[in-house]
Amino acid sequence: MTSSLSLYAPRESGLHRLHPLTKLTSALLGVVAGIALPGVWPNYAVFLLLLVPLAAWARVLPDFGRVVIKIALPFALSLFVIQGLFWTGGTPVVEIGPLSFKAEGLYFAAKTTGRILVVMGSITLFVLTTRPDQLMIALNQRGIPKTFTYVLVSAIQLVPRFQAKANAILDAQRARGLETEGGFVQRIRALLPVSIPLVLGSIVDVEERSIALEARGFSHEGPKTSYQVLVDTPIQRVARPVMMLGAVALIVGAIFVW
Amino acid sequence: MDRLRKDFTTITWVMIPVAIAINMALGFLVFSLKIPILYLDTVGTVLVGLLCGPLAGALTGALSNFAWGLFGNPGYVPYFPVAAVIGLLAGLFGQWGWYKKWWLWIFGGGLITAVAGAILSAPINAYLQGGVTGSGTDVLVAAFRAGGASILQASFLQGLVTESVDKVANYAIVWAIVKALPVRFLARFPRYENVRSD
Repeated sequence: MTSSLSLYAPRESGLHRLHPLTKLTSALLGVVAGIALPGVWPNYAVFLLLLVPLAAWARVLPDFGRVVIKIALPFALSLFVIQGLFWTGGTPVVEIGPLSFKAEGLYFAAKTTGRILVVMGSITLFVLTTRPDQLMIALNQRGIPKTFTYVLVSAIQLVPRFQAKANAILDAQRARGLETEGGFVQRIRALLPVSIPLVLGSIVDVEERSIALEARGFSHEGPKTSYQVLVDTPIQRVARPVMMLGAVALIVGAIFVW
Repeated sequence: MDRLRKDFTTITWVMIPVAIAINMALGFLVFSLKIPILYLDTVGTVLVGLLCGPLAGALTGALSNFAWGLFGNPGYVPYFPVAAVIGLLAGLFGQWGWYKKWWLWIFGGGLITAVAGAILSAPINAYLQGGVTGSGTDVLVAAFRAGGASILQASFLQGLVTESVDKVANYAIVWAIVKALPVRFLARFPRYENVRSD
């Protein structure tokens, strides 16, 4: 059920074998840590000493590195340039012609880049090592209604198909003489002849899907059985509440201590 | 409250993932056509808000951002409250009959959503990403910062500019889509009264 466009990377690793909720909890802990930790160095330490080794253990280090760099680099560049140069009332450190880099701006850029690395890194590591359908089953078992998880699973399956359809419609319209390069207005006008057929075409099967779901007892109340079995160990069952407490402690620390 | 629960029929539950997929497909389309300023990634959200009510719209928005995360764009994930509010507003505007007057829907709906979106996303952007977007619109951020605006203000102003254009376009596309849909299909949605022309 995974597609080439979804981020999940199937590997044989201990991290992959962990229960999905354990990974979700640790991702949440990572996000909270990225936001709550003070200063510059703690976030970089968490990233280099915790997230990167975990990615290596999960054998997804190349994918991890690629995604994180692709996301963090534009922000880092913008941060250092914009906040470094235009920090209001800052102390200049490096001069470049009429402008100068301010120390406070550079410090802010370094701190925020560290935060981005940890927050996005945690989410990315979670997505790389968690099978979406297993996550949905785990959530179902904890009480999240089936309708919610159906929606996400269905969306994940539909997205690559829709993108392929959008490309196909784009090519078809181009073959009919649609101009898609050139000026701004030109390209805007190219949008409607592609988006309208895409949406209308996909809405046709909305009716059929709802009939199919009804025929499978979708809106029927009551428990349903699952084909997949998820493995949960006692250590993980203890680790999850501990991680939640850790997240709360970080938040308390961020508000009251530092 | 009961009205909101009745909004979630089977067709609503089927429409939501389709809307999420529409959001992502159009977002990618805009990206590959290299159109600046526009994102067009909330067309599905607004559509569901209009046809299935505010709560369904809010859910579509929030889940869309998580779906982006699953597809390799974790940067979207923290903004899910903004997307939820966009869906909520679309549902409210539909409920108030704004769709029936095209100018009210496209400009009233679009611009109010833009302002709300800019107000809500500025603090998230300022806190998590230091007020920059990592894309071409950072030129605006730089200009506002050079003019003395705080990080929060610069982020809000940048958001206001881009969102105004983008959300009006979103609402316009939704209007065009609903106009093109057959009545037989529209009549099955819980909020059909929002769009029927009597």
